[in-house]
Amino acid sequence: MIKISDLEKIYRTEEVETVALNKLSFNVKEGEFVAVMGPSGCGKSTLLNILGLLDDPDDGSFLFNGIEVAHFNERKRADLRKRNIGFVFQSFNLIDELTVFENVELPLIYLGVKGDERKQRVEKVLDKMQIMHRRNHYPQQLSGGQQQRVAVARAVVNNPKLILADEPTGNLDSSNGNEVMQLLTELNEQGTTIIMVTHSEHDARYSHRIIRMLDGQTVTENILV
Amino acid sequence: MFKNYFKTTFRNLWKNKGYSFLNIGGLAIGIACAGLIFLWVEDELTFNHYFSNRDNLYKVKDRQTYDGTTFTFDATPGPFAAGIKSEMPGIKNTARTTWGNSVLFSLDDKTIYQQGLYVDSPFLKMFQLQFVKGNATNAFSQLHSIVVSKKMANNFFGTTNVIGKTLKVDNKDEYIISGVIKDLPENVSFKFDWLSPFKIYEDQNQWLQYWGNNGVVTYVETQPNTNVEQINKKLYGYIQTKQKETNAKMSIYPMNRWRMYDSFENGKEIAGRIKYVNLFSLIAWIILIIACINFMNLSTARSEQRAREVGVRKVLGAGKSKLISQFIGESIFTSVLAAILAVGIIYLSLPAFNSLVEKQLSVNVANPYHIGALLLIALICGLVAGSYPAFYLSSFNPVYVLKGIKIKTGGSAGLIRKGLVVLQFSISVVLIISTIIIYQQITHVKDRELGYNKQNLVYMYMQGKMRQHFNVIKNDLQSTGVIENAALSNSQVLQLGSNTGDFTWEGKDPSKQVLITVEGVSPEYTATMGMHLKDGRNFYPDGKTDSSNVIINESLAKILKKKNVLGTIVTQGNTNYTIVGVVKDFVYNNMYASAAPLILFSDTSNCNVLSIRIKAGAQLPAALSKIEAVIKNDNPGYPFDYSFVDQQFDKLFKTETLIGKLASVFSILAIFISCLGLFGLAAYTAEKRIKEIGIRKVLGASVKGLASLLSKEFLLLVAISCLIAFPVALWMMYDWLNGYAYRVKISWTVFALAGVLALLIALLTVSFQAIKAAIANPVKSLRSE
Repeated sequence: MIKISDLEKIYRTEEVETVALNKLSFNVKEGEFVAVMGPSGCGKSTLLNILGLLDDPDDGSFLFNGIEVAHFNERKRADLRKRNIGFVFQSFNLIDELTVFENVELPLIYLGVKGDERKQRVEKVLDKMQIMHRRNHYPQQLSGGQQQRVAVARAVVNNPKLILADEPTGNLDSSNGNEVMQLLTELNEQGTTIIMVTHSEHDARYSHRIIRMLDGQTVTENILV
Repeated sequence: MFKNYFKTTFRNLWKNKGYSFLNIGGLAIGIACAGLIFLWVEDELTFNHYFSNRDNLYKVKDRQTYDGTTFTFDATPGPFAAGIKSEMPGIKNTARTTWGNSVLFSLDDKTIYQQGLYVDSPFLKMFQLQFVKGNATNAFSQLHSIVVSKKMANNFFGTTNVIGKTLKVDNKDEYIISGVIKDLPENVSFKFDWLSPFKIYEDQNQWLQYWGNNGVVTYVETQPNTNVEQINKKLYGYIQTKQKETNAKMSIYPMNRWRMYDSFENGKEIAGRIKYVNLFSLIAWIILIIACINFMNLSTARSEQRAREVGVRKVLGAGKSKLISQFIGESIFTSVLAAILAVGIIYLSLPAFNSLVEKQLSVNVANPYHIGALLLIALICGLVAGSYPAFYLSSFNPVYVLKGIKIKTGGSAGLIRKGLVVLQFSISVVLIISTIIIYQQITHVKDRELGYNKQNLVYMYMQGKMRQHFNVIKNDLQSTGVIENAALSNSQVLQLGSNTGDFTWEGKDPSKQVLITVEGVSPEYTATMGMHLKDGRNFYPDGKTDSSNVIINESLAKILKKKNVLGTIVTQGNTNYTIVGVVKDFVYNNMYASAAPLILFSDTSNCNVLSIRIKAGAQLPAALSKIEAVIKNDNPGYPFDYSFVDQQFDKLFKTETLIGKLASVFSILAIFISCLGLFGLAAYTAEKRIKEIGIRKVLGASVKGLASLLSKEFLLLVAISCLIAFPVALWMMYDWLNGYAYRVKISWTVFALAGVLALLIALLTVSFQAIKAAIANPVKSLRSE
């Protein structure tokens, strides 16, 4: 599903040049659950941003489902993103002015799904995440665990092929964290590909494979299953 | 999608009530101001639209050249109208009118002065006057007939069923009412409550029958789609085919230009009222821009709060264009809210605005033009105010904003924000300076030495046999003890009506004509007016002994170029007049110019005005009732109708005073709106620097030091605004004052005053937020980190 080769990303300021990704290559197959680990500044987040089509690489190739997307323009990236990719962030990133229901509904609106169908699909996913009773609440009225469940619901509501999770349990206590990992595992079992950046060895063990990075390169790959 | 946008917009506005209030409130005031101005502009631009035939209606203009300068008048010879109608193709109708007559009407013991015109009968059809009773065709079938307005009919009879009834005119003739027309609206060039056949007036004024005398106004209706240039070409030398030696060149001037132009300089049309219509339309847009700038600044300043939302929406698949349309949609929504609020403000402030501009403007939400204009303004404001924030916000990189990396608001966005504040305050300072200088100019002209004393001077128009009984009236007035003197004259002193180019004298260049104002007066005139003789003597008390002597003014004396003008003979036709006195120049007709050449005759035969000088220090109400008693006793049967010269003088500055008032109102509002924005920005800055303030405070900074730290940045912006505004205002005001011969000198103190005023107002606005931030407990702000 994902094939990256010789990916490079360099951040430049006036004085300093920081190599975030240094000729990075790896593949992810459809249905895989991959954890990316490494110390701060090793390039994990840069990698995730490029995989999520939020950022483009300076060099190298990125094939998504066999299509070269490394140099797509913003509109094409936005289009590909909204159809195929769901995001889960450490800090949830829900919109404060929208209710739980409206937050989850948002990706479907951008996809152009009709109102009735949207309602059906949002309710279904809220039900699945067990936050249906909170549908009319605003994010700041929810606990961290509940907020992250809403964020996951929002990430999966448009049935993406790929979910990118950036330290999804980072702001949660362990029981809420485990619940979220359980959710991701279930999604993976239903066929969604997941790539997760994490600092937690515990969380990484939910995955099939751990890619360890250092200075913009992969150093080891541990296959867990 | 729209529902979603709407929800976020509404909830965002609700969540930040303070900012929303500043945003919507500022914009609403701006839209309301612009709305009021546009109502005024609409009224001006639709002037005379009551006359549906206006595209084919014209007034005849008369140009006469004296000594290289061309003067433009409305006065035409009496036979002119009939002449061109029969001789010029393309002209469908012509009608002559008088200049406006205030005539005494009486019914039983009810006597009222009513304004009206003597007109040729085609006038009724040309201007398509709407008859409630009677009709245009038969209205003037009798000589002493009269068409009255509904208002006048109701005044006298309490009904409009008045055909065939009679009114007594000037305590003499009975006029029979032959028609009732709808009252004219305010915004037309005519003001009359009655119309009577021109023939009546013509019979009383035989001089109107000569081609050489210009004494009536002539209106022309052309055939539709006539080539007016062709007509004007033929009219140019037309008078000379009737009266060889005359100087007059005629042309017709379209009704559609009467209100906005109708000012002539050396024979050429120049911008008249349109100048002010354009100026105020410009001010309306400027005020809107100032209000829009608030919106832009507050939106971009608060962008950090919206940044995460932008990031999330982008991650979820919103493209840049979607976000731009979302934010522009938001600002349009906000400006529509502001527009709705503005309608309320307009309704509330319209009575005050009407009394300011002396109009009867009304706003009508059912009027599609008004609704359309309002929506258009809201839409334009939304687009203007929303576009920059929309592009700015939608360009955020989601990678950074979601990571919580601070967006640099100090960079280009900050610079643009500062630039916009500078623009707002520059405009405000220009408006302040202009307002002060306009007022200075008005006061300057009002205070100018007129050459006579306008205080305690009453005048009234002749009624009945006042002229014949003048000596009795004067004696009776003086014996009241409150009257110093009284005099007769052709016209009231502010507006001397007659002039001629016919005078010659020894040594005069025969190729040049000098336009000289002529005024017949009684011997008491100069003394009553408080004018000063420079040379020679006054007329002798028995005016008849001076019937071939004249008094001239200084300005004419200069033109005569003689060492001693006393005794010089000036000739008009075959009549010689000897100059016996020179009166110091006094200001008349144009209050901004120096006095034009003038000759006073000792001749009361055409006198129409009685001027009365009340003794200085006399109680005015008591004096007036004594005058009234004398007049009513000596000239019974007429109401006591008088005016004060100083009040009439003030009325001459109506346009300037109006402009002064409007400029001051709108500059106060411009400042106010700018300050709303500044207030919001200061609050935002204080909020953003709250941690810095906390740390400084912990380290020992004083409240005063902190407040000045926070205020300094804004005051610098206002100071820069002043530097930009000063030359702009100087240039504008210099240009404006150039239009007046008698004008005030622009002083640097005005600029200093405006600058200090702007700084003080800005300081007041900003320091509130700065002090609030500075006295806050630092523990709170530091703990929140």
